[in-house]
Amino acid sequence: MTTNAPTTIANPSVPATPAVAVSARGLTKQFGNFEAVAGMDFDVYEGECFGLLGPNGAGKSTTIRMICCLTARTAGSLTVLGEPAAPGQRTIKGQLGVVSQEDYLDPALTVRENIEIHGRFYGQSPEVAALRATELLEFMQLDGKTNEQVRSLSGGMRRRLVIARALMGRPRLLVLDEPTTGLDPQARILVWRKVRELKAEGVTVLLTTHYMDEAQRLCDRLVVIDHGRILESGRPRELILRLVGRECLECPDIAPAVVDGLTATLRPEDQAWHEWQSDSWVLFSPNLSAILDRWDTAGIAPSLAYRRPAGLEDVFLRLTGRELRD
Amino acid sequence: MDGVNGMVWPRFTKGALMVFRRDFLSWVKYYKSSVLLNFGEPLTNLLALGFGLGAYVTKMSGDPFVDFIGPGLLAVTAMNAVTFDMSFEAYDRLNENGIYLSMITAPLHPAEIVGGEYLWEACRSLLYGLVFLVVLLPLGIVHSWWALLLPLPLLVTGMLFAGPALWVATAAKNHEQLFYYFTLVVTPMFMFSGVFFPLAHLPVVIRDLILLTPLVHVVNLTRALILGQFPPTLWQDILWIVGYTILFMALPGRRLSRRLTD
Ligand SMILES: Nc1ncnc2c1ncn2[C@@H]1O[C@H](COP(=O)(O)OP(=O)(O)OP(=O)(O)O)[C@@H](O)[C@H]1O
Ligand SMILES: [Mg+2]
Repeated sequence: MTTNAPTTIANPSVPATPAVAVSARGLTKQFGNFEAVAGMDFDVYEGECFGLLGPNGAGKSTTIRMICCLTARTAGSLTVLGEPAAPGQRTIKGQLGVVSQEDYLDPALTVRENIEIHGRFYGQSPEVAALRATELLEFMQLDGKTNEQVRSLSGGMRRRLVIARALMGRPRLLVLDEPTTGLDPQARILVWRKVRELKAEGVTVLLTTHYMDEAQRLCDRLVVIDHGRILESGRPRELILRLVGRECLECPDIAPAVVDGLTATLRPEDQAWHEWQSDSWVLFSPNLSAILDRWDTAGIAPSLAYRRPAGLEDVFLRLTGRELRD
Repeated sequence: MDGVNGMVWPRFTKGALMVFRRDFLSWVKYYKSSVLLNFGEPLTNLLALGFGLGAYVTKMSGDPFVDFIGPGLLAVTAMNAVTFDMSFEAYDRLNENGIYLSMITAPLHPAEIVGGEYLWEACRSLLYGLVFLVVLLPLGIVHSWWALLLPLPLLVTGMLFAGPALWVATAAKNHEQLFYYFTLVVTPMFMFSGVFFPLAHLPVVIRDLILLTPLVHVVNLTRALILGQFPPTLWQDILWIVGYTILFMALPGRRLSRRLTD
């Protein structure tokens, strides 16, 4: 961790280095000979929402499990809330709320019992746990299901219950491994609202998701990882501008032959870059208007084309390629 | 880091009490079916063997046959109640429904999970043992006020059999492997631990081998308390029980730790 030594007079316009909630240096995890996390360096600042994005098998959950003191690192250093992270580290765990990728709900217990007992694991009194459970069930709109068995819940309700469970211990650092997978749009919005609310209270949030719109909305900063390594890091807006530009042109259902004709007109000063995203051909360039004029003049403008702002999804696809991961 | 090298002893903390509470809450929902499962077999044995076979074999070591096997079956009931829970149920908590995994996201140590499970199994053993005692009462099998002391050995018996079964659950790769524990260990112990016939009828070598296993000593103790007959070697049985309980206690901790954090 590097902090600026206060040798010069502090400049009030430069914000102080924010406190660090999680700091990883050369963080590595091996399973046998396989390196799931291959030397990652990153800092999560207190009070921010930090995103961990990457394709299936990139190493997100493994990184998260190390941060949550659920598995040991093979090499490197990892500090969480000022303490070195390691399995069995109570001080850290007591300040964490964890939504793991799998639900791990207790099928023998009711909805309420599931989260109440979790509060008790954090050392809460029965009264505090009961109060907190009522509050959270209401917020997650599960108050109608309080006494039902967990197995009678739908997948999305179960996920909401897992999020409620993670909040039982009033975490200082909330770790969310794909919290909204399987949720309907209303429930996702509910979760986003809760995350913002917690952030406003000063809670640090670490998030993985495969929904790029979600990452763009919630994350102050994020890293894109693949094969256990960090490919890029930064603020969502900044990553979009730097890596794919402000906007793009998307042409659905276009014939490859037509695309060949279009790309032939591109010039070096267009700084154009294009790719296939499923059946759509997408063109990125800071010079889109000029290119479109050129196509109009030449009479080759595609019949169906949307000009849209570039997003994190474009960044993600550009960085990690289009091949499916198994 | 603990849990990787050396022994992991169970921890009986406040957190362990909450693990106990979780088991209790779960049991409350299932006890009806689980009671049937745990009593069906010993009760059938008692009635079929005690009164069926008992019509031909009238005396065993000088006692009526039902009087002889009743106390032994009580010990077996307690052992089975614990062993089923700590093998099949614990296997599921570890591998299927992730209950243990969700527990350790909270500030709970695997050793506290083990501690909580032991406390619960002690209670299970007590509960199922006492209900079986209530079944023995109207059959006129309980002959002594010493039976009032049974809760103590029952609590200890729960702890004694919880450790090995939980160890098996952490080592098994699938449900089938759990059955091996029953076929190779639990059932032979049940058949040869002096539940149905006195060990005196067996060759010395086999008898000495059996005396190295735990159940026979529990059977001797429950029989002594229920029939009010105290053989001079009873103190040895008590020593064996206490020794095994302590010895087995640290059995599953390390492995569970490793399984939960690999
Ligand atoms: N316990 C384990 N033993 C062996 N390999 C593992 C283990 N856990 C994870 N891996 C491997 O490590 C790699 C990273 O897995 P991880 O679960 O961290 O990916 P992820 O980024 O969370 O993926 P997803 O988006 O699918 O959840 C994968 O190749 C996975 O097979
Ligand atoms: Mg994952």
